[in-house]
Amino acid sequence: MEVAVVFLPLIGALVAGLFGRQIGDKGAVFVTCGLMLLSMVLAIIVFFDVAIGGNPRTTELFTWIDSGTLEASWALRVDSLTAVMLIVVTVVSALVHVYSVGYMHHDTSVPRFMAYLSLFTFSMLMLVTADNFVQMFFGWEGVGLCSYLLIGFWYDRPTANAAAIKAFVVNRVGDFGFALGIMAVFFVFGSVEFDTVFAATPGQVDTVIEFLGMRVNALEVICILLFIGAMGKSAQVPLHTWLPDAMEGPTPVSALIHAATMVTAGVFMVCRLSPMFEFAPTALTIVTVVGGVTAIFAATVAICQNDIKRVIAYSTCSQLGYMFFAAGVSAYGAAMFHLFTHAFFKALLFLCAGSVIHAMSDEQDMRRMGGIWRMIPLTYGLMWIGNLALAGIGIPGVFGFAGFYSKDIILESAWAAHSGVGQFAFWMGIAAALLTAFYSWRLLLLTFHGAPRADEKVMAHVHESPKVMTVPLMVLAAGALFAGILGYPYFVGSQMEAFWGGSIFVLPENNVIEAAHHVPTWVVLAPLVVGLIGIAFAYLLYMARPDLPGRIVAHARGLYLFLYNKWYFDELYDRIFVRPAQMLGYGLWKGGDGAIIDGFGPDGVASASRGLARRFSRLQTGYVYHYAFAMMVGVVILVSWYVWAQGG
Amino acid sequence: MLDTLAFPEVFLAIAGMAILIYGVFRSGNPTRPVSWLVVLALVVALLAVWFGPEQGQAFGGMFVLDGFAVFLKILVLLGSSLAIILSLDYVDRENMARFEFPVLLLFATLGMLVMLSANDLISLYVGFELQSLALYVVAAFRRDNIRSTEAGLKYFVLGALSSGILLYGASMIYGFAGTTNFDGIATALIGNRVEQPSIGLIVGIVFLSAGLAFKVSAVPFHMWTPDVYEGAPTPVTAFFAVAPKIAAIGLFVRVLVDPFLGLVDQWQQIIIFISIASMVLGGFAAINQANIKRLMAYSSISNIGYALVGLAPGTEAGVRGVLLYMTIYLFMTLGTFAVILCMRQKGRMVEGIDDLAGLSKTHPMMAAAMAIFMFSMAGIPPLAGFFGKLYVFLAAIEAGLYTLAVIGVVTSVVAAFYYLRIIKIMYFDEATDSFDRPLGWEASSILGGSALVILLFFLFQAPLIDGAGAAAASLFAG
Amino acid sequence: MEALLLEYLPILIFLGIAVGVAAAAIGASLLLARQNPDSEKLSPYECGFEAFDDARRKFDVRFYLVAILFIIFDLEVAFLFPWAISLGEIGAFGFWSMIGFLGILTVGFIYEWKKGALEWE
Repeated sequence: MEVAVVFLPLIGALVAGLFGRQIGDKGAVFVTCGLMLLSMVLAIIVFFDVAIGGNPRTTELFTWIDSGTLEASWALRVDSLTAVMLIVVTVVSALVHVYSVGYMHHDTSVPRFMAYLSLFTFSMLMLVTADNFVQMFFGWEGVGLCSYLLIGFWYDRPTANAAAIKAFVVNRVGDFGFALGIMAVFFVFGSVEFDTVFAATPGQVDTVIEFLGMRVNALEVICILLFIGAMGKSAQVPLHTWLPDAMEGPTPVSALIHAATMVTAGVFMVCRLSPMFEFAPTALTIVTVVGGVTAIFAATVAICQNDIKRVIAYSTCSQLGYMFFAAGVSAYGAAMFHLFTHAFFKALLFLCAGSVIHAMSDEQDMRRMGGIWRMIPLTYGLMWIGNLALAGIGIPGVFGFAGFYSKDIILESAWAAHSGVGQFAFWMGIAAALLTAFYSWRLLLLTFHGAPRADEKVMAHVHESPKVMTVPLMVLAAGALFAGILGYPYFVGSQMEAFWGGSIFVLPENNVIEAAHHVPTWVVLAPLVVGLIGIAFAYLLYMARPDLPGRIVAHARGLYLFLYNKWYFDELYDRIFVRPAQMLGYGLWKGGDGAIIDGFGPDGVASASRGLARRFSRLQTGYVYHYAFAMMVGVVILVSWYVWAQGG
Repeated sequence: MLDTLAFPEVFLAIAGMAILIYGVFRSGNPTRPVSWLVVLALVVALLAVWFGPEQGQAFGGMFVLDGFAVFLKILVLLGSSLAIILSLDYVDRENMARFEFPVLLLFATLGMLVMLSANDLISLYVGFELQSLALYVVAAFRRDNIRSTEAGLKYFVLGALSSGILLYGASMIYGFAGTTNFDGIATALIGNRVEQPSIGLIVGIVFLSAGLAFKVSAVPFHMWTPDVYEGAPTPVTAFFAVAPKIAAIGLFVRVLVDPFLGLVDQWQQIIIFISIASMVLGGFAAINQANIKRLMAYSSISNIGYALVGLAPGTEAGVRGVLLYMTIYLFMTLGTFAVILCMRQKGRMVEGIDDLAGLSKTHPMMAAAMAIFMFSMAGIPPLAGFFGKLYVFLAAIEAGLYTLAVIGVVTSVVAAFYYLRIIKIMYFDEATDSFDRPLGWEASSILGGSALVILLFFLFQAPLIDGAGAAAASLFAG
Repeated sequence: MEALLLEYLPILIFLGIAVGVAAAAIGASLLLARQNPDSEKLSPYECGFEAFDDARRKFDVRFYLVAILFIIFDLEVAFLFPWAISLGEIGAFGFWSMIGFLGILTVGFIYEWKKGALEWE
């Protein structure tokens, strides 16, 4: 069954991609959506069987690579961790598929789009079901490729191309770390199978290897390298710069890839490799710090952005930070829980934003929106649900939106870790929660309330999206409403042990989730309180006193520009990496390659080859007796060589 | 007395004669039904080989069956039947529709099967001649075409010469070993291992190798190849490039490894010499070609050079590499010829490389498939051709033949030039004329199938590698 | 090496003598006989009557066809003689082998008959 879950999307992708022209838009849509929905249903069944029923298994498909001691198979490993990801990936993907039918309706290459989406889903499923590092790397690169293709989907836009290349290159940096990590794993453990490696990990705690001329702990190095891969994929500081630019892709793509699934692959990987990270305390510290920094950094940037999708993108970045520092303090369950809930409400937010953009005739700048909440009430309502979930609002003990449970448990775990970095992460998380609530409502108020700032022609066109788009939204909204309260006992609550089974490993002394249930009341209430404060601030600035933001900006212009320009990361990278690299490249191209290497190398060799080629073709005279003569000469040479060699 | 070991061969022989009689008695033009009957017979034989016995000897030790023979027989039968299917349209269009054509190909295939199972110099020669005689005729099959006739005649004259050389070598070997049976020769060699092997035997091996090298068109016995490839009708060329090459290289491997493994130090030098010569000549001479069939001729010469790199070490890994290489070669070559077969402009076949210009715009799918084949032949990962080269080079390096491997890599860079040039012409040059009509379903499915095999080989290579490994092991075990 | 070559010494001697004798015969006739050529003496000898035509002229291709078919069947039939003599010793296997061989030959014969290769016009 899990084979079907994984391969149905691939079939859809192949059919839509190869025969898109024959079966037409309708056919492609029908095939991909149908297969995707089927895959979703099967995934849900698998989830109940594996995670709830406690029945993890591995399905061996066939051997892939068997070269020397390196052995890797295609195998589908389904345990609770994978089952959760299966649900997230297939559900969001299926909904996005359906949503895209409406959203991409006017596009000229629907089959291509659907094929990419399905191919992405396949790669992602391959990633989460991997049972060895190589297969995971395959999925990892597969999703990277699809992300590249989809960001650059509108390839006639230069910005989209630039964004696609940026995403690809920045991800390469991370992937390089990941690949190095895999090689190090193979070097140290002699295997790339998860089970073998995990079993051997406790024995390798003290292994030391030579790295960059230093003698360092092997496990720490491996975990840090692997985490660099995760940072690239999950857009953590300082490899986050590609994610906001990736919003050049179609909105359903942003929802699926850059919010719900692919960017969470890094979190998934850290959780999957928990049996290794647990023995690498330094690596865990780094994970925590990077997560905490990203959480606060992205939140500060988000409050100053004007593009509706970029705000949500930075919000994603920040929420991923939460997940990482949760993993960093060994609260893997909490990280997965937030991943799970976040997938629903962030996909919801993105798709709502898509619906707004659709309604506003492809306008993405919030400064040119406003005053449309009566015209698209359904989207407006759904956006509220998404925001409430994101901000983590709820009444303790009664009911809360999805984020309320998952974010709280993360912050509580961070506090309960009782370590320096844990405290750091906790306070960063609290501050980020404040900002989260603020920018969420800023977005909501700027988009839907106040006086209309768009021109009349646009305003006249504002309309609610068709059913095919709103129905997936409602499903996701249901997820944003109930995923938290329903999932809580399983992911982090009373059923936790049974639910995760052996898929997550936590050292006894690191069991922070247990400790997180016994933190002081103020720690529990703090996220909620700051959330409400954030909302109040936003109301004050953008509803009650709309003149205030301008005055604040005028007073703190430096700070504003700093945040507006995303802490000048792009400029910094441009100065440090891009331009020197370009100059180096230019110098090597002109001087090294053009003058020296080409002159003596290819050009020289090429002309020599040509001469040789001419001479060789002249050998072919066309006369039979020449040919026969050549054969006889060949025989004679060979024979005399032997006779001579033997005799002499 | 016939046991089922030789069932596929016996079946093919009887089927061939029956089809011949059927064809000659049937009124009208029976080419198409006869072709399909031949394909059917080949497929039956293929299944019989696949599911039949895997090991044993028959006919008093003259006929041997092992995993090696089974593997290559499957390839040969596959190649033959696909080549016949590819020829169907061409034969109709180009006024070549005589039913003897598929029947002759069937007999040639029968000869190849016998070659692959030969365990005796006599049966080797019988199979060898059966396939050669049939091929001489098909090379000249368009007897009203001067180039086809010339090709057939050249092939015949030179082929007869090579047969003579081979026979002479065989008689020398018989004279010095005292038996024609491969097992017997091997025992005789082990018997006098202590002494230096006698010169007569070495000379015999050289002559025998020369005869076989002619069949695989290795330098310096390659001279017929470009002329015959160019002159022969294109489906015949497609057939030439595939099935006989596989059979001959299989025979080459068997002869050198089975009876003469003890003399590996001696024959290794011959193989290294002709391998390097083939790679270099095939790589450089192709650069100047303007005719795509000629280009394919040089390409096949260099491909044989690479396959021989795998034979040179005389190890199991090397033979495995050869088997894999030939498998991949089969698909690449068939696919390429499927494209060449539909190069028709205004009702006339064209063969210039420049005629491919702009193919990417007029026939995008065909151009994409062709690009896949060319990239694969150039050895670009992750396409199949890369792995083919990888395994033979690895085997050479493991055996310490570094020079050979390095020369192989260098010449494959040279060869990449002309493969990539074809891609450049297809994708970047302006189209002159479009090709007449799209492929028939037979050709397009062969084209698409081969392209998929080449493209996705890296995903599914393990079973094939295992199969080739087992086949190679069976050769060394026996 | 030496021993090997020694084995072939008689052949070398034989070749030498043959060449020597032939050269002596031709040389002697060249040296000793009276040379007095005329056109009759230089023309090809053809069974006592004058040559009709130049010997280098085209034959009808059908001659070749018939000749080749004849040679094939003639040669194959020649196999029958040793087979017939040794039939008692080679048993049923030998018998059926020849029957199979003749069967194949028959198939070829039927083919060429139906193809019309045996008809002159």
